[in-house]
Amino acid sequence: MDEKTLQAVMGLIMYGGDAKSCAMEALKAAKVGDFNAARAKLKQAKQELANAHNAQTEMLTNEAKGETVQMTLLTVHSQDHLMTGITFVDLAEELVELYEYIAQK
Amino acid sequence: MAKTTIMLACAAGMSTSLLVTKMQAAAKKQGIEATIFAVPVSEAKKQTEEQTIDVILLGPQVRFMLDEFKETFGEKQIPVEVIPMGDYGMMNGENVLKLAQGLLK
Repeated sequence: MDEKTLQAVMGLIMYGGDAKSCAMEALKAAKVGDFNAARAKLKQAKQELANAHNAQTEMLTNEAKGETVQMTLLTVHSQDHLMTGITFVDLAEELVELYEYIAQK
Repeated sequence: MAKTTIMLACAAGMSTSLLVTKMQAAAKKQGIEATIFAVPVSEAKKQTEEQTIDVILLGPQVRFMLDEFKETFGEKQIPVEVIPMGDYGMMNGENVLKLAQGLLK
């Protein structure tokens, strides 16, 4: 795998993974009633997803130009990280809202 | 310094295993004797029971597990740290090796 592809792939793993980490921290904050911190963490998570999305778009653009990315287990793994990140952030948002709803009752 | 054992952990132990290769190369270059390997986070505890681990490094994508790791391995006096995103993304084996050594002092 060439250096450029490796960096794009690592970008997906890193940003996707970091988004998940942030979302997890948002849930931890919400659990103890710190909803400001939770929302800040969710915001950060979304920013990380946007970064991952950019890395992803670049890979897709290159593929459209005919520069096909070499498919390896690692590239598949990076997509896995990204998808987990996206799903997790979406769900965490709902859960933070739910925690807040319960706290207000 | 005596031979040290460095364990890297991430979600699947896959992306960190790439970094292991780079760290081993850096160690060899500097004449440092070290056993470096990667595991999925779910395997980490088992490994510390089977052999002596001197330092544990977490992939940035599992940063949210740092507290849990510190709690689990703190009693065994094993230092735990998260690999900085920059070094991880660039697969900078040299910097990460430096980080591990810093934790050992």
